[in-house]
Parts: sequence; structure tokens; C-alpha cells
Amino acid sequence: MKTSINKNNKFSLLLLALMVILTTSCEDKIELLPEDLTASDVVFSNGALALGAVTGIYNRAQQDDVLNGTLQFSTEWQSDNVEFIGTFTTFGEIRDYATLAANTSINGMWDDNYEVIGAANLVIDNVPLVQDENFTDAQRSQAIAEARFMRALVYFNISTIFGQPLQVGSGVNNLSVPLVVSSELGQELPRATLGQVYDFVETELLDIISDLPSNTRTLANQGAANALLARKALYEERWTDAANFANDIINNSFYSLAPDYTFYDSPDSPEHIFTLVNDAVNGQDTGQGFSGLSNPVPGGRGDVPFSQDLLDAYAAEPGDLRFDNLTQTGPGAEGADRIFTNKFPEDVNNSDDAPVLRVTEMYLTRAEANFRGGTSIGATPLEDINTLRNRAGLADLTSVTLEIILNERRKELAFEGQRRMDLLRNNLSLRRPGQPNEASSAPGMDRTIYPIPQSVRDLSPFLEQNPGY
Amino acid sequence: MKQLDYKLLLFVFFLSSIVFAQQKTVTGTVTDGDGLPLPGVNVVVKNTANGAQTDFDGNYSIATNKGAVLTFSYVGFSTKEIAVGDGSVIDVQLETAADELEEVVVVAYGSQIEKKLVTSISTVSNSDIQDIITDSPQNILQGQASGVQVFSSSGGLGASPTINIRGTSSIGSNTRPLFVIDGVTLGDSFTTFQQGSGAGINPLASINPNDIESISVLKSAAAAALYGSRGGNGVVLITTKRGNKNGRVTVDIDVNTSFATITDTPDLLNSQQYIDFTTLIRNGSAVSAGPLTDAGGEFDALDAVLRTAVSQSYNFSVRGGNEKANYFIGATREDIEGIRVGDNLERTSFRTNIQANATDWLTATLNANVSHNRFDRVPNENSFASPYTIALLQRPDVEPFDENGNFTTTGNVGGGNVIAQEALNLNLATTTRIVANGSLDFNLSSLLDGLSFKQDVGIDRVFTENQTRNVELLTPGGSAANSVFQQNRYILNSILSYNKNFGDKHNLSLLAGYSFEDNQFRNIQASGTGFLSDAQQNIESASTFPLTSSSGDANRLVSYLGRATYDYADGRYILEGSVRRDGSSRFGANNRFGTFWSAAVGWNISDEAFMDNVEWVQGLKLNASYGTTGNDRIGNFPSLGTFAGNNFNGNPGLTPASLENPDLQWESTTTRDVGLTAGFFNRRLTFNVEYYKNVTDNLILFVPVDPTFNNGLNGVNQNIGELENTGFDVTIDAIILDGSNDGLKWTSSLNLGFNKNEVTSLPETSSVDELGNRFVDRTGGSLAFSGQRAIEGFSANSWYLIPYLGVNPQTGDAEWLDASGNPTTTPVAADRRIVGQANPDVVGGFSNVFTYKNWSLNTLFNFSFGNDILLTSRAFTENPISGFNKTTRVLNVWQQPGDQAFIPSPDSPTINTFNQNSTAQLEDGSFVRLKNVTLSYSLSDSLLEKVFVSKVRFYATATNLLTFKSDGLDGFDPEVSNGSDGNDAAGQDFFTLPQASTYTFGINLSF
Repeated sequence: MKTSINKNNKFSLLLLALMVILTTSCEDKIELLPEDLTASDVVFSNGALALGAVTGIYNRAQQDDVLNGTLQFSTEWQSDNVEFIGTFTTFGEIRDYATLAANTSINGMWDDNYEVIGAANLVIDNVPLVQDENFTDAQRSQAIAEARFMRALVYFNISTIFGQPLQVGSGVNNLSVPLVVSSELGQELPRATLGQVYDFVETELLDIISDLPSNTRTLANQGAANALLARKALYEERWTDAANFANDIINNSFYSLAPDYTFYDSPDSPEHIFTLVNDAVNGQDTGQGFSGLSNPVPGGRGDVPFSQDLLDAYAAEPGDLRFDNLTQTGPGAEGADRIFTNKFPEDVNNSDDAPVLRVTEMYLTRAEANFRGGTSIGATPLEDINTLRNRAGLADLTSVTLEIILNERRKELAFEGQRRMDLLRNNLSLRRPGQPNEASSAPGMDRTIYPIPQSVRDLSPFLEQNPGY
Repeated sequence: MKQLDYKLLLFVFFLSSIVFAQQKTVTGTVTDGDGLPLPGVNVVVKNTANGAQTDFDGNYSIATNKGAVLTFSYVGFSTKEIAVGDGSVIDVQLETAADELEEVVVVAYGSQIEKKLVTSISTVSNSDIQDIITDSPQNILQGQASGVQVFSSSGGLGASPTINIRGTSSIGSNTRPLFVIDGVTLGDSFTTFQQGSGAGINPLASINPNDIESISVLKSAAAAALYGSRGGNGVVLITTKRGNKNGRVTVDIDVNTSFATITDTPDLLNSQQYIDFTTLIRNGSAVSAGPLTDAGGEFDALDAVLRTAVSQSYNFSVRGGNEKANYFIGATREDIEGIRVGDNLERTSFRTNIQANATDWLTATLNANVSHNRFDRVPNENSFASPYTIALLQRPDVEPFDENGNFTTTGNVGGGNVIAQEALNLNLATTTRIVANGSLDFNLSSLLDGLSFKQDVGIDRVFTENQTRNVELLTPGGSAANSVFQQNRYILNSILSYNKNFGDKHNLSLLAGYSFEDNQFRNIQASGTGFLSDAQQNIESASTFPLTSSSGDANRLVSYLGRATYDYADGRYILEGSVRRDGSSRFGANNRFGTFWSAAVGWNISDEAFMDNVEWVQGLKLNASYGTTGNDRIGNFPSLGTFAGNNFNGNPGLTPASLENPDLQWESTTTRDVGLTAGFFNRRLTFNVEYYKNVTDNLILFVPVDPTFNNGLNGVNQNIGELENTGFDVTIDAIILDGSNDGLKWTSSLNLGFNKNEVTSLPETSSVDELGNRFVDRTGGSLAFSGQRAIEGFSANSWYLIPYLGVNPQTGDAEWLDASGNPTTTPVAADRRIVGQANPDVVGGFSNVFTYKNWSLNTLFNFSFGNDILLTSRAFTENPISGFNKTTRVLNVWQQPGDQAFIPSPDSPTINTFNQNSTAQLEDGSFVRLKNVTLSYSLSDSLLEKVFVSKVRFYATATNLLTFKSDGLDGFDPEVSNGSDGNDAAGQDFFTLPQASTYTFGINLSF
């Protein structure tokens, strides 16, 4: 017994020593870093990472709420092109002119577009500060120019939905969106006026155009800056400028009308000025974008069939290839078969590219601007319209009116998010007589624009709400 | 033959006694209270070293003298002393020592006898839970412990219930308590593969209720302080069954079969009603939607997705051992069907608990549990693939089959066709979990009397694979996805303890320990689309690969802990203090370490001399405690400012992911707790009441920031804000009839948890509502909408909605109340106000057990009062303008002045806004539920003597037999929780599958 106690004694001391060793050796183990996230201060520590942050801007712009379809389609069913028949009550509110400030889909559009602006501001502010001698000035200039283009594009887009257009109310003094142009946290800026946003977009695009690349359709580029300036000038009714900007693109041999309508998911097609490339790995993000909403069940949600009014518009001239080649019939969200667009047919992976700016729009813009301005910069309006009609398999016209030009524009750009502004800037109601809520859809009516989201105003009460919300 | 030997032997002994006169040999048999032989009983001649032990049949033989005293002693039984008389046969029956050994309660890192307990702990024993039939282990606490609120989150299988101990203790972090099984803190923050909203895979599904011996719920901070930064939500300590020490081998077999049906469903429109209603509405001048085409069919989707589910459970265990070693081995196999089609769960689990008292200074223990779940899943709630959701929305005139009986696509609702989906698609989760700990317990009395050291190492390993395969019909080209999640958890505990009596009356226990935990998480995901054939099962055969990803995550915790307990005069006065210092990888560089502590006092008043003559009260005890605990459930790297990796057009990119806060630290809960226990009528009536006030400060909030001005980011984690939970926990136990007269025994137990939750302070930078109150929006889980807020001065789960008035009988307009109190047809966000709360005022349970001869009847009610539920799904099922099916409530449409209608006029613009979120969907969530009724019959001993069986018990159990709830909940279940974690709104329904009524028939056998 005696020996066993001694052994036990030694053993006990050994144990206590072991315990002391264990307890003193583990404290530094709690210094852990995440495996898959990069610390903010590391991102702008070298050129490669900083360029990753530029790529990140495009990634954020790929959100359905930004360039990939949710925002664009919501304006289509707010207008006369599309009938929304899905389950989302927040989308239904927009259709019914019953939108509430708490509409979470609109909150998402605001939020996601400001994500792009925030990501761009970080690049613009930090790229000049990167300490990396291999990060050349040319690389830096292009990185900043791409960021500034994407920021200008997003500001232009959201200015169309969150404030009244130039043609109603107090014009350039209509309230638009807050113009946040620095990455400093916690600023408190009131809503800028539409004039301020337009001036910012114009100045920015003209300032960066020479730093942008000219040989790409899938990144911010010189042509895209010109095309956006053309669209903007058209919205501002600066007819000569609009015709000139559009003419520049049409005369640029890098771009030309595609021979048919198979260009949508072909980023190399000369049709595209800027197309946002989506693929199966990284594409439309929610299933509520171009592909998800516009394809029939079961591949898509079957939420956005053609409205009867749009069907009638194509039916007025049978044989229109823009209808015959770009439609499909299948079960809609409610079960019955409906007619859907076929511009975004890849409904399993939602990998269809987003058409952001394409050369067809430039023909339509040149035609409309020349017609309204009484000019024929580059071509007559009739020539431009007949060029597009020929591609669509339709016979030449002998004369055009504004109504004909707008009708061609509608049939070319349906489901691409242009219809709403094309109506409003021409002082036309969003809905046609006989369509529901026609009265509420007249230019200048409260619910033709979206509310400043309630959750944003909860945090920034100094942002004035739009009337009626 | 045996009897003959025995008599012969007696005869021999009798002769010997004559021959040797005084020196004689005494023999006999020692049995227990049931008359079964007890092997290994120590038989000692008092005050001598002369002793013997009983053999396997309980027989002993010892040489002694007339007049000597024999002492019979055995662990767990009262010691008996018998004087040796003239006879030489002494048969002894030992009584179990229930009256002498005081009830032992499992506490943090140890155990304590109930009398000396000074902190707030509720216990649930095996007898309380043996009749509960559930696939979610958390549910066994439902209605069983005061102050413990358990809400089932869905009637679907594998749903993870919400547990709140003494109210909602956090806003931004998870409020789930910490689960500890045999000393191993369980990981429960791993990926649960949520499909749709609501519950993912229950992280505790591997716990087999049949293995549980007892549960201790540590409710106050003082009780949970030894769990430090993780004790803030309370701690649930589960102790599994041990082996026997009495040499007996017990085999238990339990087999049962269950039949389950849904408790309630809403009444839906049939095809004709649907067509008529929709046509009526769409003819209205205010409605945009186009005319409806009648699909011409008639299909009861609800009937097609629900079923009577039949389940089987088989449980086997064997326990045995002696004072040297003991074991418990258990195995369970369950085939469970859910009440929804396609919802199936197969569980297989094994447990081995072995303890070896190797030497007088070393005890080795191994507890190991291996479980395997094969879960054929069904998406929940907010998913077009959720069968129940779709059944409520699917147009009744659209059939899922064509005229030849082949599946068709039926519209977007239901991923094309929810019936086909369940019949054809694969959606399978297989989980293997190993929870094991081994410990060496060293008795160091040789070094210092009363000193011992325990080294414990545990692992908790989870391996889950979720596999889906969608067929061509429902996903053109077909698709497949695989996700593999692994948790590797390692826990090390070193505990030094010291117990010593000084003099007669001073008793001191000390504990010091060190603990280290390491959690590693791995996640691998892949998906493929574009298959040639549905027969190709795996991604390998796909043509496009949208997702290929792996990720990793980790956290670590290093801790030092200590406790001192002193009691005087066998617990007349008790003092206890504990402290834990935690260092966690989760928190800000400036605040890695936090210290938590507690102090408690107890006074057993009945032990005082002045109580000697007080007959009417027994066991009167007063205790009070103060303590602090924390909550660290906020993800793994909540304090860092980061960019996340992503890509565009094949190029890698980075985008802002989070804003930094290096000062981030734990939430801290401080509890003040006072308890009073008393027994009356010889403890036939016992009463326990506890008052508590929990103040949780340094609340970790994801404080929303306006993305407009914060680079697109939505918030930052901050320690800011404070909330209070105050309340009473009351437990009353009564033995109403003790069976002494006619054999009828009736015991009754009532527990009540009263709680008031108030947010006392929120950040200055918080949003401010129209009335000037600061608030934090609760998120809606996977739902975009939540009408719930934590509001300063009010509940952390306040409903904030526009009040709905109804349809004006004169105008046919739906009317709401505006901010100034006037009816309006165009309410705006500013008209919202506080209209209720999701927290109940009181929750509890009421159980009654009746036993008469061989019969036993056990009933358990659970209840909740004072909470409101938001039935968000009614915004869909009562939306007059949608194209989807609706409940029959909508049939009452306003047509002419004077109509008391539910639905506004189709010509009123309010027909479009009628279904907006408002109090129209808010209902009183109070309920009383007959949770469990079990009737059992045990065969009598006289019957059993003839067979090789010691117990045969037949039982029938009914679960959720009756539910009393408000009329507004018709068709819905009062137990809902869409998104029960973190900052999610509580008490919000979104197509929550109602609970099942389950009828179970089974048999227990023991031998």
C-alpha cells in the first residue's frame, strides 16, 4: 500500500504540472482570421486586389435589381407592355398603382443600386492610394474610369424611377436621388435635383471617356459612354445632341445592326455597345430577373406575359420577326398558357446576358431626335425606321410620324426596360385607354414614380418622400 | 432439486449449531423491495472485520455468534441491522433508499443535492418524458419546466423548435439555450440547409430521447455562470442513462407505432367557387388583372399533399454492472413519416456509456453516441416547392395530371407541379453525428483528503450531405445539387475539485477548471444542370456546372472557471460563488476576454431550531442569487470589416461585405433571482416560486445604417442597447391521492412562467418611429416582410402595423385607421403603431398522473397566453385580386350598401390594397393544448412470475389531441415561428404547416 500511495503522489503532481502547461498554451489560439473574407484594409494594398474591387462593381451590377431585369421589368408592367401575373404582392402593388413606401422590392432596388455606387466610390477613392509600383498609371486611370462609368450609369437609371421626369412638375428642379460621390461613411446628403444628377452624369461621362477602353462590349467603354449620353440627351429633348451622339455610334465600325435577333446572348455581336455578361456560374441572382420572370413554367416563373395591348401592336402588322422569332407560348404563373418573350430563354441557370446599350436604340434615337429637331443628321428618320423594319421582315414605309417611330421603338425594345421613360418623356400615360389604372398612369401622377423606401427614410429622415407615399 | 439441496444444507447447519452451541453459521437470502435477489450485498458482523457478500442469487453465509448484530449494506438501499437470535436463517429485504438519499440535481460541471441548491434550476426526469413522442428532442421540455417556452416551429419533420428560457434575452443574437450532453457542449450553429423559410434541419435531431435520464434547465445567471459567455440564454444539461451498480442486468425493449394527421387546415375554395369569385372580382372596375380562363378541372390539392402518417419506433437497451464497472448500451431505430407527402425520416442511433472504477484512485468513463439520420426532405413555407404552401395557393381548377394520368406542369406555383415534385425529385439529407467524451477521474485523497482531478476530452462531429435531383419535367434538362457540411468540434475540460467537511458542521466544495473548445466548419457545394436522362443521378453527368464552391469557418474559446460552495449544518446556510473567464476568437481585437461571475445564498429555514415545533410546513427554503452570463451567438467574425470574393464574366472580384467594429464584445445578462420553496401536508403539496429580473446589456445589434451613405452596406454590429426580462416562475406539485385507501393515486403538477419583456435602451443612432420611440426592425427570416420591431420602452417583439377597421358597409371600401385616429382608405407607413406583441405573458404546463392498480393515465396540457401571431400567409390566401386559390373567408364580398362584408367592393380601389400587411392578419395567439395523454397498463407480478420478464407495459399515447385557440386561428396552428433565430421576427406565420395529432400504441418489456 505504501508504495502505491507514493506512486499516486508523484502521479498527482505530474497531473497538476500537465494542467498548468495545458492552460498556458492555448490563449494565442483564439487569434483567428476568416478563411474566405478579405480584410478591408488589405483590399487596396496592391494592384491585383484593387482590380478585383473593380470587377466587384460589375458583380454588384449583375444583381437583378440593378441591370439584370427586376428593375427593368417592373417598369414594363407599370407601363402597357407586360401583365404581371405572379405571386409577389410587392410587384402586384406596382402593377396596381397601389405601391406603398414599405414595398420591399423597391427597397431592394434602391439598396442594390447604392451597393454599386458604394463599391464604385471605394474604388475611385482608394485606387490612387494603392502602394504598388507595378500598378501602372494607365491601369489606375482605366480602373477609375470604369468605376465612374458604372456609377454614372446607375445614377442615370435610378433617377428615372425615384423622381419625376423633366417633362412634368418643376423639370430640372424635380427631386431625384441623393448624389453620393465619396466613400466616406455616414454622410447626410439631401436628395439632389434631377438637374444636378443629369449634370453629374454628363460631366462624369465626358471627363472619363478618353480613359475608357474602346475595344470591348462587355466592360465600361467609350461607345457605352456615348450611347448613354445619347439616351440622356433624348430624355432631355436636346435633339441635336441626341442625334449626334447616336450618329457617332452608328458611324463607328465597331458597331452594326445584327442581321437577325440571335444576338441577345452573344456578347461578341456588333449589335452590342455594352452587354452585361451573365453565365451559369455568376449571373442573374434571384430568379426574379430577366430569365426567371419571363419564361413560362416550369423553367421560369411565368410571371410576365405580353399584355394584350402589346400583342395587338405586333398583330397590326403580321409577319414581324420581332414577334415571330422572339416569342414562346407556355404555362404562366396562374396555370393557363400565355405568350412570353424569348429574348432571355435560358431559364435553368438564368445565364442570359443583360442588354444594357445596343446599337438598335441608337437608330431609334437618331430617328426620333432628327424627327423632333427637323434634322437629318446621318440619315432621315424614314431611312432609319425602314432599316429596322427591313430587319424585322416588314415592308418599307413611305413616311413616318412620331407615333410610328415610338411604335417601332416599343416593338424593338420591349422587355428591355425602356418603354416607361419613352412614354413619360413624350407626355403619354403609361397605360392605354381600356387598360386598368389608366388615370393613375398619366405623366406626373404620384405612383408613376417609386417611393423613397420607408426603411431608408427610417434611417435618413432628411430624405424627402415623394408625394402620395 | 435446488430446494432439496437447500433444505439439506439447512439441516446440516442446524446440526452444526447444536454441536458448536455459541459459534454458528447464519445463512439467508437478501432481496430488494420487489422480492428480487440482490447480489453483492455486504454482510458484516457489526464492530468486527468479519464479513461476507451475497452471491448471484442473493444468498449469503456467515459465521457469527448468537447476540451479534449483522449489518446489511448496499449502494442505493437503506442499511439494515438485525440481531442474531436462535435461528440460523435470516432472510432480509432491503428498502430502496429514496427517503434517505436526497435527490441529486445535475448542475454546471457537477451535481448538487436538491436541498443545497441555491440557484434556479428546473429538472425534468425520465418519467416525465418517457411518454412524449416527438422527433425534436427540444419538444420534450414543452410544458415541463416553469419559465421554459418551447414553440414547435412547424408540423413538418425535423423542425427545430424555438426555446426561450425566461423570455427573449437578445435582439440581434440567437436566443437558443446552450445544450450540454454529459458535459459536452453541443454545437448547434452549423448549416441546417434551410429550404424555404422556417426550420432547416434540427441541429439537435441526433439526441435520442430514449437515452435521456434527466434534464436540468439552468435558468438564472447564477446557475449558468459557469458557462460564461454562452450561458445568457440559459443552459440545458442532458444526462444520459448509466449502468447499474447493483450487479443486476436490465434489458428494456420499447416498440411503438404511431398514426398522425394534421390538426387543422383552412377551408379553401373549390373550383366553382374559385371561378365565380375571381370572375366577380375581376369584373370590378378597380381591378387590373385580365379575365380568367377556367382550366376546367377540379383538384383538392390539400388532400393530395397531406396524409395519415404511419411511423414505427424500436428501442433496445441493456444496462448492468457492479461496483467495479457498469455499462449502458442503447440502440434505436425509427421510421418516421410526416403528415406531408414526401416527408420521411429514418433514424438509427447507438449509445454506449461505460464506467470503470479501475482502482481506488482512478475512474475511467466513456460516453459515446453515434447517430445516423436519413431525411427525405420537403421544402418549407416560403418556397414554391413547399407542398403545403402550394396546396393553399394552387388553383383548384388546374389538375396535376393530364387525361392519361401523366404529370403535367400546372403553373409556377409548386415548381411546376408539387405532386410530381414529391413523386419524382430527390431531396435527401443524410447526417451522421458522433458525440463522445472520455474522462479520467483521479481521486487524489492521498495528496490531500477530498481532492480529485478530472480530465475530460470530447468531440462532436457532424457530417451532413444534402442531395437534390430535379427531373426534366420540372426543370428542363434536369438539375442536381450536392452540399456537404462538416463540423469538427473538440472540447477539453480539466477540472480540479476539493470536497471537505471541517468539524461536524462545515462543508466546503471547491472547483477550479480550464476549458478549451475548437470548432471547425467545412462546406463543399456543387451543382449541375443539363442532363441527358433523369436516370443520371449525379452532377458528374451534367453539362453545365453553375456552382463549385468550398468554404471554411472556425471559432475557438479558451476559458478558466472556478466555484466555491460552503454550507453550514448540513445545508442550513449555504453560500456559493462562481466565476468564468472566457476568451473567444469571435470578438473584437480590443475585447477578446470577458469575465462572468455569480454569488448565491440559501437558507433552509426548516432546519432552524425555532421551526422544530412548526408542523404545517416542511422543507422551507429561501435562496437568492446574483450573476452575469453572456451571449456570443453572432457568427464567427462579426467584428471585422471585410470584402467578400465573387466574380464577373470569369474574373475574380471583391465587393464590400461588412463594416468593422474592433470593440465588439459579448452581450451580458445580469440576473437577480429570489426563490422560495415550501412543502405542506408532509410534502404532499410542494410549492416553489422564483422571482427574477434579467438585464441584458451590451446587446449586439446589427445596427442598420442607410446603405445610401455607407457604401451599400446595411449595418454594423454594435454593443449597444439594453433589455429586461422580469417575471415569476411558479411550480406546484401535489400528491392529491396517495393510493393509501383504495389504491388510486393522483399526482398533479402545475408550472407557470410569467414574463415581461421590455427594451430599455436602444442606440442613439437607431431609427425613430412616428411617436419618437427608438426601434430596431426585426427581420422576417427569409421573408421580405416583418411587421415586428424591438421598440424602446416596449417588447423586443412588438407588432408594428397599420390598424385595420374592416369594410365600410356603406361605401364598400376597406378602411384602416390613420395616425390621427380617423378611418382612411389610403393608409401610409406613418399610420403604423404598436398593436401587440409576440411574447406571451405566461406560458406553462399542467400535468396529472393517475395510477390505479396496473393502470396509469398521464395527461399534459401546455399553454401560452398574451401573445399575438401575424398570419402573413393570409396576405396571400385572402388576396382578392390574385390568381391563386383562397380560403372561403373571401366569399363574403361587398355588393351593395349595408353589406357586412369581409372583402371590399370590386369597384373600390381598396380591393387592390386590402391584403396589405395590417392588423387584418394579426390574431390572438393564446392557446391551451392537450399536448399529451398516455394510458398504460402493466401486467401484474403474479402473471409475470410465470415468464422470464420483469415488466410488461402496454401504452397508448395521443399527442395534440385538443387545442383551444381563438377563432381567428381557425385553419392555423398557434405554434408558429417563421425564422426563430437571431434578429428574426417571432410568432410570424408564413404557410406554417400545422402540428400533427399523433396516436401511438406501444409496448415496453423489461427483463
